[in-house]
Amino acid sequence: MLPFVVRRVLHGVIVVLAASLITFLVMHLAPGGPSLLADPKLSVEERAAITRQLGVDAPLPVQLARWGGRAMRGDLGTSFLYQVPALSAIRSRLPNTLLLAGAALLLATGLGVGGGTLAAARPGGVVDRLGSAVASLGLAVPVFWSGIVLILLLAVKWQLLPAGGLTSDGGGGIADRLRHLLLPAIVLAMAGGAELFRYTRSAVRTTLAEPHLRTARAKGTTRRQQLITHALRPALVTIVSVIGLQLPRLVGGAAITETVFAWPGMGRLGVEAALARDYPLVMAVTVVVSAGVVVASLVVDLLQRWIDPRGVSPT
Amino acid sequence: MMRRRRWAFCVVWLAACGGEPAVPAADGGTIRIPLINDPIFNPVVAPDLGSVMINKVLYPGLVRPDSSLQPSPDLAVSWTTSDDGRSYTFALRPNVRWHDGAPFTARDVKFTFDQVMDLSSGTRLRSDFAALDGVDVVDSLTVRFRLKSPFAPFLTLLGYNAGILPEHLLKGTRLGDAVTFNRQKPVGTGPFKVSSVTPGSRVELMRNEDWYGAKPAAEHLVFKVVPDINVQVAQLRAGELDLITIEPSNVGGLEKEAGIAISQVPVVQHWYVGFNAESSLFAPVLVRRALGYAVNREAIIKGVLKGYGDLPRGTIPLALRDYFDSTLAPVPYAPDSARALLAQAGWQPGSDGKLRNAAGQPFAFELLVDKGNPTREQSALAVQADLQQLGMQVSIRTMEFAALVRDHVLTHRFAANLIWWTTPPDPDQYAFYATGQDNNNVRWHNPRADSLLAAGRATLDPQQRQSIYKEFQRLERDDPPVLVLFYPREIRAATSRLRGLLPIGIRDALRHSERLSLAVR
Repeated sequence: MLPFVVRRVLHGVIVVLAASLITFLVMHLAPGGPSLLADPKLSVEERAAITRQLGVDAPLPVQLARWGGRAMRGDLGTSFLYQVPALSAIRSRLPNTLLLAGAALLLATGLGVGGGTLAAARPGGVVDRLGSAVASLGLAVPVFWSGIVLILLLAVKWQLLPAGGLTSDGGGGIADRLRHLLLPAIVLAMAGGAELFRYTRSAVRTTLAEPHLRTARAKGTTRRQQLITHALRPALVTIVSVIGLQLPRLVGGAAITETVFAWPGMGRLGVEAALARDYPLVMAVTVVVSAGVVVASLVVDLLQRWIDPRGVSPT
Repeated sequence: MMRRRRWAFCVVWLAACGGEPAVPAADGGTIRIPLINDPIFNPVVAPDLGSVMINKVLYPGLVRPDSSLQPSPDLAVSWTTSDDGRSYTFALRPNVRWHDGAPFTARDVKFTFDQVMDLSSGTRLRSDFAALDGVDVVDSLTVRFRLKSPFAPFLTLLGYNAGILPEHLLKGTRLGDAVTFNRQKPVGTGPFKVSSVTPGSRVELMRNEDWYGAKPAAEHLVFKVVPDINVQVAQLRAGELDLITIEPSNVGGLEKEAGIAISQVPVVQHWYVGFNAESSLFAPVLVRRALGYAVNREAIIKGVLKGYGDLPRGTIPLALRDYFDSTLAPVPYAPDSARALLAQAGWQPGSDGKLRNAAGQPFAFELLVDKGNPTREQSALAVQADLQQLGMQVSIRTMEFAALVRDHVLTHRFAANLIWWTTPPDPDQYAFYATGQDNNNVRWHNPRADSLLAAGRATLDPQQRQSIYKEFQRLERDDPPVLVLFYPREIRAATSRLRGLLPIGIRDALRHSERLSLAVR
């Protein structure tokens, strides 16, 4: 077990380093450059002064070396846009993204796995047909569109829920925060929930057809026991790896969901930074997100070994 | 079953409670305005529009533009100009206090402009005040500005972005490094002061009870970060925003909405297609004049802007009423005149309808436009269609605005681009159209224009200035520096309860934020 963990941690470090290097090169080679320099009204000398202050006048390898050297000491630089340390910009946004992504993951897992199991139990039944239809919709509809449509229906037309933001004016209690969380979490959960529904349904159906289920039925177990203990548990290996695959999507999807719902999270911060060529902030977001994904997939692997100690993992 | 009912109850409970705003709506209420990003509360170093908007509220300047965009007293109550136009002496308003209670004095004014002129401070205002030589404190309530040469736009620029900063809080720090001040705890002298900042989400302002002017009508202003315009529209309709500016394409969905009022004001902008005057295609003046006849601007204003724009004359927009020459007729859409001028310039249509010169080369070029703004993208398509009718081969290339500006506009590596200028409310366009200036991106060169533009910024007498700029506009007819497409109008959508918004562009109107209020329902 321990060598496995050590090996995976080393892998993880390499992944984070590679992601940082690639992001650095892609960002710097992309056309444009820092938006701070893209004001057509700046004079030549103003532009030169800003270029110097941002440190983007040095050759690329020098900039990379500087960034690497500072990163080793835990300093990821100062955001061009926000004029604060990149890590502190992330710190102020990360909790909001974790809240949103956590809520979405909970919704997606609950509805996807629950619905998928029920659908598999009665193929062609109401849950199966309704769930499949909703799942197709969830996968087909882009987050941006579904977000706007839900806002127009629930916030504008029926005025049931707020259209966006973290809280109402002047802040609010837990209920107010939950009201603001509900719509973005639903939208962010849609695609993942749909995927989980489909995988769960097919995994549980496959296991239901296996010989050990016949044995279980012969033993006189209840339908419920068959479904949960004998069918869902083996299917969990697949399901957990699908859940693991949701994590990068949650971060990516969060960028759009956070924009649509004016949710001050890290996904939006990353997009803004990329569009503005805020190099330090883009790099910091890359490091934090890739480290997060690496840790999460390690957790998924460990979970899988725990569920299925034979150590065969499909990922 | 029980569990399902409980879940349904939860949704209803969430929907039902906590809906009413915690801030009471009486007494002028709370006005909510969107920003597209987190602002930097420092008018000297902030680079973006969101910051500019909120800083107009927090940091008054010495003067502010009135409803006809003329400088009127703000932190200065009066001023005198020396006979040679090179020295302005301002009497400052007495008994003004910073939001932290410290007194405002002439030293704050000097400190601010020392920072504006110092490139190492990270200033974004230096080119506005390139004519400034220095600022002297005469006494605690008198300050004198020395100019290198007479500079007519000076007062207008003082009321544009040059908010005054507190010396007592910022002295000895590089402005960009004052993170707590710039991001969390700004201190200005404006009618509202910051009460809370939630990064990425909102900035809440409360009425400054000690403000020097009339009591601010609203109790709170809230600037909410809402990056996407369609989401801003949805939030306005849901009653979560009170005032937004929109694109022509958003008007349709809002016009019929009860409780929302749409208004429009001309703004000091001109949108144009810039042709690189150093390229062989566009150097000949005949070609540039032909292009003016070739594009159907009325169709663009009607089709793309849905009528929210004005037919241009030259580069001086209609919003500058004192200087815009309304006696000049608009350049008509006249493809035949365009063809005749192009023929004179040596461009003849071949049997395939394509224009060619004597050497058989086609009239082909690339039109650059920034990605993502429907108004500009559609305008570019309209220009392309009109020019192709004449036999030119125009391809459109879209890219991010930053890439367009940095890699093409500033480096002059373009044949044509569709872009715009937003200027202070002054007709001075020396920086854009005088020979060799940093911002003369199209490399236009006209000696007569150079001397007119130089005289225009050095002449203080309004009548004389008017005649100078009228001559400049007539000159632009014969030798167009750019192809002006239209002067846009700012379209504002607001709750119909909003009162006190001056009929000038929203940035200038925010210099009068103390007037804004919400009528009681």
